[in-house]
Amino acid sequence: MAGAALRDQLSALLSSMFSQGLVDEQFEQLQMLQDEGGTPGFVAEVVTLFCDDAERIIAEIATLLEQPIVSFDKVDAFVHQLKGSSASVGAQKVKFTCMQFRQFCQEKSRDGCLMALAVVRNEFYDLRNKFQTMLQLEQQIQAYDHKQQ
Amino acid sequence: MTSSVAAAAPSPILSPKVVAAPPPLKAADRKVVPVVVAAAAAVDEVANEMHVLAVDDSSVDRAVIAKILRSSKYRVTTVESATRALELLCLGLVPNVNMIITDYWMPGMTGYELLKRVKESSKLKEIPVVIMSSENVPNRISRCLEEGAEDFLLKPVRPSDVSRLCNRIR
Repeated sequence: MAGAALRDQLSALLSSMFSQGLVDEQFEQLQMLQDEGGTPGFVAEVVTLFCDDAERIIAEIATLLEQPIVSFDKVDAFVHQLKGSSASVGAQKVKFTCMQFRQFCQEKSRDGCLMALAVVRNEFYDLRNKFQTMLQLEQQIQAYDHKQQ
Repeated sequence: MTSSVAAAAPSPILSPKVVAAPPPLKAADRKVVPVVVAAAAAVDEVANEMHVLAVDDSSVDRAVIAKILRSSKYRVTTVESATRALELLCLGLVPNVNMIITDYWMPGMTGYELLKRVKESSKLKEIPVVIMSSENVPNRISRCLEEGAEDFLLKPVRPSDVSRLCNRIR
């Protein structure tokens, strides 16, 4: 696929991620840091760290919520971690869901937490898919550019 | 060899002040120009280089803070716990630390406890300590400042937060 078409695809993808509120200004700041520093791979690195982290945390929370007696403090601590890393990477929707999730933890509501977990999981998977597409497109663009030289 | 511009008699109004550029070399004649500028920049870097110790249990946050600092030409050492940070500092394994930037809430020793230990140590107390937190809790902020923190940054940390900070500490 020609370079221009790839770039258009990437541009359209990023536009929609921003307009749908999946990512916010923090993500833009990270992109700028990458561009200014001339260090390709920074955004990929942070995004990958975030996805690994989120996956681990979601699994931990799921296990905690399956226990006969739920330790809401522990669940809250994990949600707090996820909220922190989503804020740092600019994953806005996930961050907001975490804020609501913490409410359910305060209320010690297992049902509320299970529901919030389902929402956060879906949002995370959706975002992860888009991040993966973004990184693939970037790699394709780099490969194409490299061939042109 | 004379350029075609010099050959034309310059009129009083149009006489060029700038020497015409030599014609471009053919590809075969092109030599690699020694990069003198880069060397000067590297020397600059070492002379002005600040070494920052960044402490955070979150791998995402460590990557972000390290990148922000390195973009401003600081040397960064990252650690994932306050205990580890103290170990490195006390054993002299991270010499010449100009600033410590630490997350507030971490499992085990908190950033606040790290701050206190640093300020209590005759060896370390001169090192400015900056606390980062995702929560805007006024009591927390004032306690940290009272304990001697240089500044308190709200997460997510932005490049502008850090550059303002480092300009003050330089």
